[in-house]
Amino acid sequence: MAPDPTISLKIRTALAEYLKRDPATVMTTQHLRDDLGLDSMAVIELLYRIEEVFNLQIPDQDLVGLTTVGHVVRYVEKRVGKPAKQSKPKSQKKS
Amino acid sequence: MRSRVVVTGLGIVSPIGIGVSDFWKAALAGQSGISAITSFDPFPMDGYRSKVAGQVRDFAIERFSDSAHGERVDRYAQFALVAAKEALADSGLQMAKENPHRVGVIVGAGMGGMVMGEREITQLYQQQKPHRVHPNFIPVITLNSASGIIAMAYGAKGPNLTISTACSSSAHALGQALHCIREGRADVVITVGADASITPLVFAGFCSLRALSCKFNDHPEKASRPFDRLRDGFIMGEGAGTLILESAAHAKKRKARVYAEIAGYAATSEAYHMVIPREDGLEVAHTMRLALRDAGVTPAQVDYINAHATSTTIGDAVEVRAIRRLFKSRADKITISATKSLIGHTLGAAGAIGGIVSVLALHTGQVHPTANYDDPDPACALAGLSRSAQERPVKVALLNAFGFGSNNAAVVFKQAGRER
Repeated sequence: MAPDPTISLKIRTALAEYLKRDPATVMTTQHLRDDLGLDSMAVIELLYRIEEVFNLQIPDQDLVGLTTVGHVVRYVEKRVGKPAKQSKPKSQKKS
Repeated sequence: MRSRVVVTGLGIVSPIGIGVSDFWKAALAGQSGISAITSFDPFPMDGYRSKVAGQVRDFAIERFSDSAHGERVDRYAQFALVAAKEALADSGLQMAKENPHRVGVIVGAGMGGMVMGEREITQLYQQQKPHRVHPNFIPVITLNSASGIIAMAYGAKGPNLTISTACSSSAHALGQALHCIREGRADVVITVGADASITPLVFAGFCSLRALSCKFNDHPEKASRPFDRLRDGFIMGEGAGTLILESAAHAKKRKARVYAEIAGYAATSEAYHMVIPREDGLEVAHTMRLALRDAGVTPAQVDYINAHATSTTIGDAVEVRAIRRLFKSRADKITISATKSLIGHTLGAAGAIGGIVSVLALHTGQVHPTANYDDPDPACALAGLSRSAQERPVKVALLNAFGFGSNNAAVVFKQAGRER
């Protein structure tokens, strides 16, 4: 399935609104903490907003992989279109 | 000898003015901050018995504070942040020159973050989507969010406490700050009272308690009328007050302007009833007596009382009975005013705001009018009450504050500088 370009834009717009900056300055390569200055609480607030925009639920075990804007975009692209429900936890993953 | 403690800065957010200068001008003019409730919109007011309150109008945190901290907290903590900012600027304290571990923050708050609290609870019950509860819900409703955010905004690393004793919360905050400095645990304490809970659920709760005035819904400015024969309950208010307390030695060292000395404090419980005071006024009189003793002054030296005076039938009469019990024939010689007649009952902020009024009375020799004291109730008439502003030197001021839970507080302020 080809990536939906609006997903990236929506995520960067949500992030830009949260950070009060121009969406054009938010790049997919940027690290949420190191480049954009989001602390762990701010990341949680951002994901709360993204859950709302895309009608998703992001389970706790998926949070660890979401460290750059690009990770979030790709994650949402994968999830979008599927029903908004808890994804099955990966059995080998430690909590 | 224990260290003396003085007040060096003031800040306020109130229904009659944001900023001490505007507030004091309006208070001396007897301006009412009580109006019809509009903030519930679109929630209809029809089902409420009482429909008026002392609301802070046109408040937006970004107009008053560029601190990023303000956006993540509830309305009451935003009020606290704004009042603290004004008080710190007023005091001339420069945090960069202070030992941060010697600057504390003590906040009194009765209800806390009810704006977000109510919204999130309502949504959860209506939508049944637990995952949509805001991640900031817990930090926002935690009652020490205001004391935490003020410390973060100014780098104050000393004792950081929140006191919650309903309507006496910030009178106790003042008292605990006094103790903290006396005991040498801090040089400065940013002392705050704040509440903002004119929200559909809290307001309905006070209505159901039959505690609020209902007879003056069409004339809001007439509704809060402490000591008047027609009073029929209190008017909810909201706001924040901040007083910068510091040791007299510390204030002297940095050549700070001193408004007044905070000289005494007492805390007691009536151990009687959750919401009803003892009618004989014995415990209230005892509390005032203890505070005066702590301040080293006699009842004969008191010349101003900032009364708790919420405009309830029982409460006002009990307070006057207690004043007569303690001050005897001198009771009618003391100037008295009821700040809640102007702004309503700001709950957790009431003690701090009453403290600011007391300090200004000492500092300026002016006492604001008690609005709507049109027809003195014989059960609580005192000659020192007036519908007009009064001018007279005030040397010793007493602040009363009583809270649900059978809780009493009294704080004594003295004119500063005489013996220095």
